[in-house]
Amino acid sequence: MSCARTRQVLDAYIDGELDPATVAEIDVHFVSCSVCAGLREERRALSAQIRAEAPYYRVPERVRLALGRRLHPEKVRPRRAPAWSLAGALAAAGAAAGLLVGVWLGHPPAEDLLLDEVVASHVASLTPGSKLVDVGSSDRHAVKPWFAGRSEFAPLVRDLSKDGFELVGGRLDRVGDRQAAAVVYRIRNHYVNLFMWRAPSGMGEPMTVTQARGFPLATWSAAGIRYAAISDVQQSDLERFARLASEP
Amino acid sequence: MDDPATLRRFEESVLVHLDAAYNLARWLTGDAAAADDAVQEASLRAFRFFHQMEGPRPKAWFMAIVRNACLDELKERRLRGLEEAYDEAVHGTADEARSELEPPEAALVRADDSRQLHARLAGLPSEYREVVVLRELEGLAYKEIAAIVGVPIGTVMSRLSRGRDLLQSRVVDARRRSSS
Repeated sequence: MSCARTRQVLDAYIDGELDPATVAEIDVHFVSCSVCAGLREERRALSAQIRAEAPYYRVPERVRLALGRRLHPEKVRPRRAPAWSLAGALAAAGAAAGLLVGVWLGHPPAEDLLLDEVVASHVASLTPGSKLVDVGSSDRHAVKPWFAGRSEFAPLVRDLSKDGFELVGGRLDRVGDRQAAAVVYRIRNHYVNLFMWRAPSGMGEPMTVTQARGFPLATWSAAGIRYAAISDVQQSDLERFARLASEP
Repeated sequence: MDDPATLRRFEESVLVHLDAAYNLARWLTGDAAAADDAVQEASLRAFRFFHQMEGPRPKAWFMAIVRNACLDELKERRLRGLEEAYDEAVHGTADEARSELEPPEAALVRADDSRQLHARLAGLPSEYREVVVLRELEGLAYKEIAAIVGVPIGTVMSRLSRGRDLLQSRVVDARRRSSS
């Protein structure tokens, strides 16, 4: 693989759009060509910066309401508006409103905010100069005990190396205003952050995969702990990771 | 519009993508009022043509309609003489979208850098801006972007590449300016 050819397909490489054989050829080239490898890093950094910093404009309530009036002319109930337009609406209130007015009115706002916080914590952990892990080890028996006395619960730490997810370590972090444990895995050159925090209401919601600001993100809950796995790998890889991590 | 089952299917398959639609509309039109109008118009058009929806990807289908509605809206505004310069004053800033999510001091530290990035992305020619937004903020695959924009996959790749080149050189220029 030549430098010229590598640069031609660099974006497709970053975006996970190339076939595995070409990816393998380019990976070999990166090892021997520091200039191309440097360009790859610049591109990755730009991509992460756009995702983290460019505003994502969610649809305003005025548009949802106007649309609701035009699609459901028979069901206009103006009094329901404040329930989800209050920025501080609690998850419960949001969920109730969501059920009442139909699926398309959206997820409970509090839950959306939390997914944004997961993205923010993920991006912060990968920012150059910040700490990816407080305890670095590929041995789960070294990572798990580190959390004792630091985290308010014992986080899940699994050995998934035979499935391609190498354990990197763990750190204490926050998701919004909650204390969270983050366990970091690596697949190829990508990091996966598995965030866990206490959520007494989370008793066995099944794993679902979504996109948040362009990152694939999987969430589930079990035994009062809420889990969120996020990475910049392809969605299929993240889903595979989440399935392995969420197995009982 | 009086068939509740159809409306429900429409809401579940198409209107769940309303945030994505609005984000695209904001970035394409650069104006909140124009985005409001374009997204409403696109949603009504999508409902009207819902029975013709083809393929397994309602999101790409809907986003293509949104994109067309945005182009129509911009054209109409130009004709009515409503077009305004695309700038921070009408577009809002990164702070507006973020202000409720983080404490003020964090926002202050970040404001400088992100406003620059925001301005640079907003200032990209639209054929590059739309593919960057669809790829980076929506995480769509090239195939889906190609379907939305109506160009071959190879064109998506070259526009994305060119758009990022422009963005990168502008970001680097800005850093140089601010550090010198």
